[in-house]
Amino acid sequence: MVFTFYLNAQPVTVDVPPDITLLALLREHLGLTGTKCGCGVGECGACSIILDGEVVNSCLVLAPQVAGRSLLTIEGFSGVDGGPGDLQQAFIDAGAVQCGFCTPGMILAAAAVLAKHPHPTRREIADGLAGNLCRCTGYQQIIEAVQLAARRRTEVAEPSEQAVPDAESRTWKN
Amino acid sequence: MIKHVGYVRAESWTEAVHMMAADQRVCRPLAGGTDLLALAHKGLVTWDLLVDISQVAELRVVAEESGMLRVGAAVTHATACEHPLIRNRIPLLASACRAIGSPQIRNRGTIGGNVGNAAACADAVPALVCLDASARVATPDGEYDVPIADLVCPSGRWRQLPWVLIREFSVPTPLPDTRMAHFKIGRRQAQAIARLSLAFLGRLDDDGRVAEARVVPGACTPSPQRFDRVEAVLLGAKVTEALAQEAGRVGSEQMIAITGRRWSTRYKSEAISALIERSIRLVFGLPEVM
Repeated sequence: MVFTFYLNAQPVTVDVPPDITLLALLREHLGLTGTKCGCGVGECGACSIILDGEVVNSCLVLAPQVAGRSLLTIEGFSGVDGGPGDLQQAFIDAGAVQCGFCTPGMILAAAAVLAKHPHPTRREIADGLAGNLCRCTGYQQIIEAVQLAARRRTEVAEPSEQAVPDAESRTWKN
Repeated sequence: MIKHVGYVRAESWTEAVHMMAADQRVCRPLAGGTDLLALAHKGLVTWDLLVDISQVAELRVVAEESGMLRVGAAVTHATACEHPLIRNRIPLLASACRAIGSPQIRNRGTIGGNVGNAAACADAVPALVCLDASARVATPDGEYDVPIADLVCPSGRWRQLPWVLIREFSVPTPLPDTRMAHFKIGRRQAQAIARLSLAFLGRLDDDGRVAEARVVPGACTPSPQRFDRVEAVLLGAKVTEALAQEAGRVGSEQMIAITGRRWSTRYKSEAISALIERSIRLVFGLPEVM
């Protein structure tokens, strides 16, 4: 079936079978393999994307359900220069990436946390990432990465002596 | 013969019912998809036509009218956690929905889906039974108001119909002094299937005696039901530690009377007593015993 939606702020029209998941549409048909397929049943969070501002598991969304709606995937996160966005840079700097398989989903879930809580507590971060499994890091570095990103955004919003934007001031594109 | 497998999106309740009824093939309603698509992934469910009801405005209503709260079937768990009417009037439902899955699941999964899937471990169902909720449903035979406990009962007629579409839930607004508690035991905090849960609602009269008590364990019996023997122990009594322990003991007995002794009984009989005691202490203001 034919339908149109907004993918990382660009309109996309597809003609696909009506019974595939959004995850299959993104990975198999649009070639956006940044969104990972882990469990396929909504338990691991590797396929997390943001649908109209809410983090969801793309493996549990039927593709035609996104008709007319806005999606953000990990491919929409790069900084203005095409390099990592601020959240991605914070993950790198905090050592929150090991094998990297959970990272795209973690970034999306973390973005949803920061959108709701610009100055999140550890509890708010842990609750916000509760649907994302990581078998490498033990989560501590991931929570610290989100704290680091929040701190950097605050510093950018309220610049002290150094007002020149640097790699750390890249903002999340929506 | 060509067989079409399809997806349609309903824009209104009338259209949704029409779509479910018009087709002789296997039609399934789709809202959040958190159960349906997970089952489909495992090959446990198929369909000819999916009727997407997630965007139907009538199914997303949360309102209070003449002493009744109305909660639409496609209200997500995340909305239930945060909506002021649900948080203030029936915090039990907000707590139960907060215990479900993860942020991703709560953003998609709906209360109607939790009831419609009718798992014995469904988190929102004990809360709705405890709140004396009924559901407005459409079936091939017409529309009905059905108590939640009847709707989810495995042997009941509602589970045998070709299709049942839930429109909304009605909950009598609890009296102002009513207090509620919800506990869930799972293997971990997030993404856990309930091993056991308890929805509890209680109110004291002016003399400090129990005027109202509703006790509904989850993941305990084939479908959530009120534990009337526990409620009978509490009604009219002064709340003491001894009463809490007696209620817990009776709760364990009633569970065994319903389910018989199962592999999990040694654990659950102690756990259900503890949850009942804890709820009584919390709701009626006894000090917690460590």
